[in-house]
Parts: sequence; C-alpha cells; structure tokens
Amino acid sequence: MNVTLAVKQYVSKMIESSGPGMKVLLMDKETTSIVSMVYTQSEILQKEVYLFERIDSQNRENMKHLKAICFLRPTKENVENLIQELHRPKYSVYFIYFSNVISKSEVKALAEADEQEVVAEVQEFYGDFIAVNPHLFSLNLQGVVRGRSWEPTILPRVTQGLTSVLLALKKCPMIRYQLSSDMAKRLAESVKQIITKEYELFDFRKTEVPPLLLILDRSDDAITPLLNQWTYQAMVHELLGLNNNRIDLSRVPGISKDLREVVLSAENDEFYANAFVDNYPQFKKMSGTVSKHVTVVGELSRLVSERQLMEVSEVEQELACQNDHSSAQQNVRRLLQNPRVAELDAVRLVMLYALRYERHSSSMLPSLMDELNRRGVSEKHCKMVQAMIDYGGKRVRGTDLITATDAVAITKQFFKGLKGVENVYTQHQPLLHDTLDQLIKGRLKDSQFPYLGPSSLRDRPQDIIVFIIGGATYEEALTVYNLNRTMPGVRIVLGGTTIHNTKSFLEEVTSAAGLGHGSSRPPTRR
Amino acid sequence: MASSYPPPFEGSAEVKEGFLCPLCLKDLQSFYQLQDHYEEEHSGDSHHVGGQIKSLVQKAKKAKDKLLKRDGDERTETSYESFYYGGVDPYMWEPQELGATRSHLDLFKKHRAARIDHYVIEVNKRIIRLEKLTSFDRTNMDAGKIRALEKSVVPWVSDHDVPFCPDCGGKFNIRNRRHHCRLCGSIMCRKCMDFVPLPLACKLTSSTREALFVPGSPGKGGSPSAGGPAAPQQQLPRRGSISSLSSVSSVLEEKDEDRIRCCRHCMEALLRHQHKLEEKDHVPDIVKLYERLRICMDKVDEKAPEYIRMHLKEMVTKPLLTLGTVRFPMEQCLLLLPFSFFHLQAALESQKRHSEIDKNRTTLNANGDALRPAGGPRMTKAGGWLPLSDTAHSRSRELDDPLLQQIDNIESFLKQARAANRTDEIAMLEENLRQLQDEFDAQQTSRAIELSQQLADEESLQQSQIQYLQKKKLEGKMPIRAQTLDFGEVRNAAECTEKEFDSRENLNASPVLSTLLKTQSIKSFPRLPGNSPPLQRDERAPTPPAGETQNSSGTASLNPFDEADSTPIEEDPTNPFSEEIQKEHSQVLSTQNKEYNPFEDEEDEEKEGNNSGSGNPFEDEDDNGNDNQGNPFKTPNKTLNKTPAASTNPFDDDHNEGPATDDIIEEELLLQQIDNIRAYIFDAKLSGRTDEVELLSQNLRELQRTLQQQKRKTH
Repeated sequence: MNVTLAVKQYVSKMIESSGPGMKVLLMDKETTSIVSMVYTQSEILQKEVYLFERIDSQNRENMKHLKAICFLRPTKENVENLIQELHRPKYSVYFIYFSNVISKSEVKALAEADEQEVVAEVQEFYGDFIAVNPHLFSLNLQGVVRGRSWEPTILPRVTQGLTSVLLALKKCPMIRYQLSSDMAKRLAESVKQIITKEYELFDFRKTEVPPLLLILDRSDDAITPLLNQWTYQAMVHELLGLNNNRIDLSRVPGISKDLREVVLSAENDEFYANAFVDNYPQFKKMSGTVSKHVTVVGELSRLVSERQLMEVSEVEQELACQNDHSSAQQNVRRLLQNPRVAELDAVRLVMLYALRYERHSSSMLPSLMDELNRRGVSEKHCKMVQAMIDYGGKRVRGTDLITATDAVAITKQFFKGLKGVENVYTQHQPLLHDTLDQLIKGRLKDSQFPYLGPSSLRDRPQDIIVFIIGGATYEEALTVYNLNRTMPGVRIVLGGTTIHNTKSFLEEVTSAAGLGHGSSRPPTRR
Repeated sequence: MASSYPPPFEGSAEVKEGFLCPLCLKDLQSFYQLQDHYEEEHSGDSHHVGGQIKSLVQKAKKAKDKLLKRDGDERTETSYESFYYGGVDPYMWEPQELGATRSHLDLFKKHRAARIDHYVIEVNKRIIRLEKLTSFDRTNMDAGKIRALEKSVVPWVSDHDVPFCPDCGGKFNIRNRRHHCRLCGSIMCRKCMDFVPLPLACKLTSSTREALFVPGSPGKGGSPSAGGPAAPQQQLPRRGSISSLSSVSSVLEEKDEDRIRCCRHCMEALLRHQHKLEEKDHVPDIVKLYERLRICMDKVDEKAPEYIRMHLKEMVTKPLLTLGTVRFPMEQCLLLLPFSFFHLQAALESQKRHSEIDKNRTTLNANGDALRPAGGPRMTKAGGWLPLSDTAHSRSRELDDPLLQQIDNIESFLKQARAANRTDEIAMLEENLRQLQDEFDAQQTSRAIELSQQLADEESLQQSQIQYLQKKKLEGKMPIRAQTLDFGEVRNAAECTEKEFDSRENLNASPVLSTLLKTQSIKSFPRLPGNSPPLQRDERAPTPPAGETQNSSGTASLNPFDEADSTPIEEDPTNPFSEEIQKEHSQVLSTQNKEYNPFEDEEDEEKEGNNSGSGNPFEDEDDNGNDNQGNPFKTPNKTLNKTPAASTNPFDDDHNEGPATDDIIEEELLLQQIDNIRAYIFDAKLSGRTDEVELLSQNLRELQRTLQQQKRKTH
C-alpha cells in the first residue's frame, strides 16, 4: 500500500533486468515526472543509468554502446515515436516498458518495426501515477470538470491512472462512490469496466477483507482547499507552490541562483539535481539541504507576515468551524477593509463566507461583494465567488459539510466545544476525516456512498484507496496520515486528480464553470 | 486574538484539559469515569436533541456508549502521540512485493519473427546471388558471356512488362533505357540504379559465410529489407527522360568490370546488412574504458575495508573519530565516481572499526603512547634504513596488518643497524619494536574479545579459516622442508586461498585473518634481552641468553620464510629434532624447551603459533581455560574442533614429501586441538552453553580417537 515504493520497485526492476552496462532511460513527459518523484539522480546513477532522454526529443545522438530502458505511457504519440526509433535504433538494445495496458495491435506494430531485432523486452509496468508520498498519489491533471461532468478526454486518463494504482498495489477492490456526484459514478463504472475487461490482470491473491476503493468528488468539500494551512508541506504548497515536490523560489526577493528551484521530497530530502530530467541547474549537494529549508522557511514567514496570514487564517477557521454568523461577518468585513490583506485572501474569505452562510437568513454576501468591489478586486475574482457556490454550494453537496443534523453529529460538536480549541489555526478537520472515520467503523451510509455492483463489504475495511475527483489537498493527506497512524490494521492511500492549493483550486473551479478563458487555458502553476 | 478565543461552553479564558464533563466541567481522569459520570448525572440532558431516544433507556445507553467511544477516538487523533493505538506510519508499512506486470514479449517476438524471417531470407538470397556473381573472372570475359551468366543467377524481368521505372515512374524509351538489377532481376532506370563495388561484395559474401557457419547466428544475420512493402522509400520526383549521349555510350559498355549493377532496394538492404556486421564487432573506446573503470571500482570496493582500517589506525589517538574525517580522503580520491555504495560500505566499515578501535584505545593508553610505534619506523626510514627486499620480506608485506609490516620493517632495520654497529639506533629500534609488540598484544586481546563475541555467527567463516590454517600450517612446515618445496607454488596456492577467503567474507574474515597472522608472527619475534614485556610475562618460555638471542635475531628473522631463505635448516624432514618435538607433544603438553637451542625453540613456537599460538603470552590462561573473553584463539580453535580431519588438506597431498613429516605435524596439531578444545569446553561450561559443550566433547572424543590411531601408526 505504499505508492512511492510501488513505483520505485517498478523502476528498479526495469533497470535491474537490463543487466550490467551503461544505460539510458528513455521517457516521455509524464513518465519523467513519475520517475523523478521516486528516484534521485544519484540513486539512479548508481544503477548505471547515465543518460536521460525524452522519446520525443528529435536530435538525440546515436549511442550504440548504451542500453535503452524505455518507460512510456501507452499513448499513440509514444508508440509512433517508438516505431520511428526502432526503424533507426540509436541504442544497442531496447527494454520497453509501458506504464499501462497497451493494445495487441500496437504491440504488433512495434514488432514489425523492430527489423533489427533490438528489442529485448516488452512489458507493462503499471506506474502510471505520480507518487507524492507513500500514502498520497496524484495524476497531475487539471481542468477535469466541465460544468458538472467529466471533461471528455480526461476520464480515460483518470481511469488509467486509478487502475494502474490498483495494479501497482495489487488490489482488486470493491468500489464505493459518492452518490451525489455523477462524475464519481462514471469513474467508478469506468474503473469497474477495466477490472472486468482485464480480469486476468486483477487476479490477485484474495485477502480476507477485500480492499475498498472510495471515489469522492471535490465539490462535496470545497472549503478545505480554500483554507490556509499550517503544516510545512501544505504551507509550502499554498504559499510557494509545490509541483512534483519541487518549489519554485525564483520570485523570492534576493534569492541566490542555486535556490531558484528546490526539491522537497520526503523520500529523500537531499538536493537532487533535476537537471537529469528537465535541465535545471545543478545544485550543490550537501550544503543545499540546510540552506534550502532556511530559505523556504524564511520565505514562508515573510509571506505570512506580509499577507497577515495569521489573522486571515484565524477568520477562515472560524468561518469553517464555528457557527457564529455575526462575529464571522464582522471579522470578514474587517479584513476586507485591511489593505494589507492580499486580493486572493480577500476573495477566499468571501468564498468561505458564501459557502458557509449561503442559506443563512441574514446573509451579508451582497454587501461583502460590494466590499470586494470597493477594494478593486478584479472582475475575474468576483465572478469566482459565484462559480464557487455553483461548484460546491449546498445544492451540490451530498453530505452535509457544515451543519450537523443528527444527534450524533450535534453531540460530537458539543464535545468538541468542551475540549476547547487547541489551536485556532488548526481547528478545521476536512470532511474526508469524517467520511473515512465512518467508513472504517462501518457506518458510512450506503444511501450516500453506494457500492458499485451487488456485493458489499461485511467487515471493517482494511485497505482503503480514496480518490478525490477534482483534486486532494495536503491537509487531507495529513488527515489520512494521522488515520493511518492511529487506526490499527487500517491502511489508507489518498489520491486525487491533482494536489490542490487555493490558487489551483480556484482555477479548477473557474474552468469547471467555463468562465472566460478558464477551460481552454492550460494550467500554468499549481 | 488567537489565544484569547473563548471556547464555547466554558465561558472563561481558562483552558481546562483532561476528561471534563461537558456540563459541570469536572475533570474525570478517564473515559470510563467520564462515561459513568455522564450517565449518572446528565443522562437526560444529552438526549434532548434526539427526543425519541429519551424514553428507550436501553437504546439510549447504547447510543451513549458509542458517542463516548467516538469522542475518545477523536481525541487520540488530535494527539496521537500520547494515545498511540498501534496504527502504522505509512513510511513504515511493511515491504510490499512488486506490483502487477504483464509481458508482451511473446506476442512481440511472434510478430517480429514472421517479419524477420522474411528479411533474413531476402538478404540471404541477395548475398548468395552476389556470391555467384563474383565467383567468375569478370575482367577477362566478354560482356555477352557475363550477361548470360548474370541472367542465369536470377531470372530477369522481361522488358515489355515494365514500361515505367517502378521507382521514379519515368517512362522507358530509347534514351531512358531499362536496366536490370543483377540481384533481384527487376528493372530500373539508370537514375535509380546502383552499383555494388566488388570489394564490398567480397566483404559481404565472406563475412556472411562466416556468420552463417556460426551456429545460432544466421537468424541474426538478417537485415531489414528495403523491398518490403512497409519500408519507407523516398519517391524520386517524376522526371522527364533526361538522357544524353553518354547513356547511349554506356549501353555499349554495359560490361561492369569492378562492380555489380543492382537496384536501390537491394543496395540499401546490403548496406544495412554490412553496417550491422560492422557494428557487431565494434566496441567503442568509451565502453572499454568504462569496463575498466568498473573493474577498478570493484577492486576499490574490495580493498576499502583495509584502507579504512589503516586510516583509522593512524588516528587511533585522536579523541574523536568521526565518520567524516575518515571519509574525507576517500572522497577526494574517488570523487568522480558515482560511489555512494562505496561510501556506505566504507561508513559501515569504519563504524565497525570505530568501536573496535575504541576498545583498543583503552588498552593502548594503558600500555603507553600508541602513536609512537606508528611514527617510529618512519623516523628510521628517514635515517636511511630500508626494509629488506628479499622474497620473504615481500611476502610478509602481504600480511594484511600494517602493524605487522611495521614490525617486520623494524626487524630488518634492526638487522641492518646491527650490521652497521650503530648502537644508538639499535637501542631506539629495539624500543620501537617493543612498543609495537605491546600494541600488538593489546590489539590481539581486544580482537579476541570481539572474536569471541562473533563466535555464534561464524559458521560460514569456518571453512575458509580452515583453509587458511592449513595454508599457514603448510608454511609453518616450510622451514623444515625448505629444500624440497617449490616456493612459488605454495605461495600461489596460498594466495589463491587468501583471495577466495577475502572475497567470501570480506568484512568478517579480516580480523580473524590478522589474528591468525599475528599469532604466528608474534611468535617469531626475536626475543630482545630483558626488554620485551610479552617475554617477561611468558613464564614458561625462558629468556635465552643474550648472545644467543642476538644471534638468532641476526640470522633468523621474524618470518619463517626469511629463515627458510637465508638459513635453510640442514636437517632432513625426518631429523631427530622433529621427532623430539613429536615426542614432546605426545606428552600432551608442550613443556619446557630449555634444552633446545634457540633455533629449535623458535621452530617449535612457530608451529604452535601456526596452529594455536600456545606459546604466546596468554598461553597460561589458555591452558587453564579460565579466560573467557581474553582468549584470542577461540575462533581458530573452534574451527579446528569442528573439522578435526585436518589431514584432508589438499596442500599436504600436493607438497608433502615425507609421510613422516605429515604425521608429525598431524599429531602435533591434534594434540594442540585437544588441548584447545579442553580449554574451550571449560570456557563453555563456565558460561553455561551446554549445547556447545556437548558438541565440543564430541569433537574431543573424535580427536582423541584420531590421535590414538596416529600414534599406533607412528609406533
């Protein structure tokens, strides 16, 4: 159930089975990210891999003394590139690994291109996802939603990614999905279809309790990605942006050349030069680790004080967790009038307010919108407030995110109150926590999260794979981590179409609403 | 604002912790107490939210239990450190097997084979034809005859079937004439025609012949055919009939003396084939260099432990021995190589050494300054002494303990100094030597301590140790049998063993190895009059008269081989003196040696040293068997115990001339083993390892039986 290890083992296996000698790793854009998430350059150098090439790069040198290990997604372009490569082989021998199921006709096309008999291996190794942490994976896909349904081209990719996770972990799960989301249902069916079709692949040793795949929709909890986070990883992602475990620090004032971009990998917290895949500058190795974190933390604290994020966060948490409308709206208004609060933060406060007190009898939303306008917040951002309500408002939500209705929930809130608030900045528990908690205890309602197919799980689930359509967050990753730590016998892996911070989430919402250029524009940063 | 935020239900700024009752804020220590309290005092209050439950007491109780348990769980989640329930950190999840995989290789090969077969046939056909075409003497034959021959190789396509050039589409006419490919018989226009020069043709046919006769390779000989339907073929732009008089003239001289006409497709196929043949044997320089680099890296990996050990020894007296300082120089040497594995190994090794050296240090400090022995020889070197360069000495260089080498060196310096009569230097050297010996003793002790701790997991090591012992034994015999033995051969054999040994148990073996070596060579140190503490401690071995000692150290060096080379012993292997030794040992113990001359004395001790080093300062304790930890010979003993059949030594069979010698040694060995086993049994009993005791006693009985047999044989 360790996704990082799963991918790592695949890559190691590939390299090892090619035997001794100098090697080149031939990848495409996506597999490059996949491999670079689990392997450092120094690690991979030790395995005699001295060159990293992209299959689509045209002017690669002829190097007949190298063995080529090709790790590619089974896309049309890749197969076509590979066919060209085999017609005019640049390396002595080819070990070909596809990250997902490849059709027989494509294998045939490749075989017929291999006139010089340079191919020594053709396999499927299902590392078709980005392993961020041992319990967290992403597919690095954005703009998956169009209105309330799938962006048509994305669904097959998500299905591939999710099935490859199942295959890499050797799980043939039962599937539950969120009833309120049509997308979740579609994905569940799509995954089920693959499992049925490739039943031979999914024929794993039966475990006592079958694993469970739970498919959720981001729209059910739009609040979590809007909150400021105070754990390191989440903060870095929120404030600096973390892409494939890399931080872009180039905008930090007075940053030294070496630290323009740094890697923050839990797997191996050393600088590893990403030059090996993306031609980034080589980093000084050892000295880097310390100065990297110093720089990152320094930048974080600078941003926190500059944007007054402590105050913002406190109000955010109050909005998310407390039920005091008048105090909430006063605080929001106060911060909106504070010139030091950034535009993004102002907008997200209003969004949180809107999501929280959408149906409140004395909702102040219109006047808060006026306040935004008075601040000179851009049109685009103002529109986003409505888009957010459309995306994750009460109308959409299946479970109730905010107000407790039943006795259990109310009493729970009651107990929460008596415990007192340990930390005002971390009061919020993502909805995922409750969902998983109920799931583990066997109390998750079938009416809200039905099983796909007739059979259902009798026992407490043990191995759980949660997938959030529309992206997970680091806060949820932390929740899952803590659940793993505290629940004996339960192993949970969280995945999402991407890992969100507020900015990327807003982009997602924008594109879902089809606002302006939102849907067609490729996401720049996450 | 953060800190002053009032938690609801509490109403004051004071934050209470623990299991508070939500209503009366009483601290109730535990879940269960809180649960009971809640049930007793407030059972009514909590249920007003779900009014219908109120009446059903039983149900209410259940619900409450659930609620409270939930709350407990929640609490652990927020502060799981204190309420660790046994969940597992995802980083600690148990190792998992490789994910699912699926191979398409069979399918791939099937499709490819069909394709390749086709190409192989095509290419081979062409080459066979090419061979036929080149088999006759083209220069001295008239064009018509050649033409006829060529036509016989492959049927030519008839002219009227092909009105256009199949490649460029140009219409054939009187100016744009048809040309036949001699390899496939097809028709091309002149523009699309190619030529195979004769040298190339020869090369192709000869290399293919070779390739075809190599079993298994013909299939690989295939090269892609250009004639295949899928093969990309650049279409030449359609051209009008560009012709000239030259084409007419070329018709007249159709005869190609040094080349063979063929179409582009055939040419391309042949060229690719040739390219492939060339590539097959070509190894780029970088690959050769790389392979050499890998070999070097392997060697370095092999040598690394020794290097680190040496390195550490120099730093023995430094109070803090950090990994960093050890690694630094190595990193300098090997910076360019992707070497983390090596570093890791090095680090491990040095860590291991570190602890060992730590132990050493305490002993050393007790013994005096440890740096000086190391520094001594260098000083002397500066003074002009050089180590003796005879063969024996160079052999001793192979001893893997640098300390031994130092001692060795000093020995030779000492000799030279004596020869030169430099008394002041002699004194200094003797002092150095003494210190070195001290350090040696100390090291041995600590090594032995470690060794005895390793005993349990050294089963696998024992085989190699035996080999080593046997080798040593053999070498021990050498002084006696020096005349009859081929020196080099033994050495080679010994080296082989050593290598095998090294490669098998690099880390573990070396300490044992060096202990063995030490036990051997410490015996052979010339006894310096009165100033050698090990000597003084050695109660049973009396100090020889000063003159004799000097004599012995002057002629017989520390090393048995030295002796063999420089002063070969006159006696035959069957000499009375060795018999004496034998007798002496058949009396169970090696007893007083007073009556022997220093030579004999040393011989004797050498042998003892080889086998178990019973003549060493610790012998007393060894014999009494009450020194559990300090016994340096435990491991070797055990090795011997486990395999009492030392006579299976291959070297014995190879090199032993006289069976008598064999028996003598054998018996001597046996006796010592018996001795050692006894001590070991005693030791095992003391520490309560009954299973070992049993095993050992069994060994002992076996040994004794063998001894009896031996005795019967000799008498």
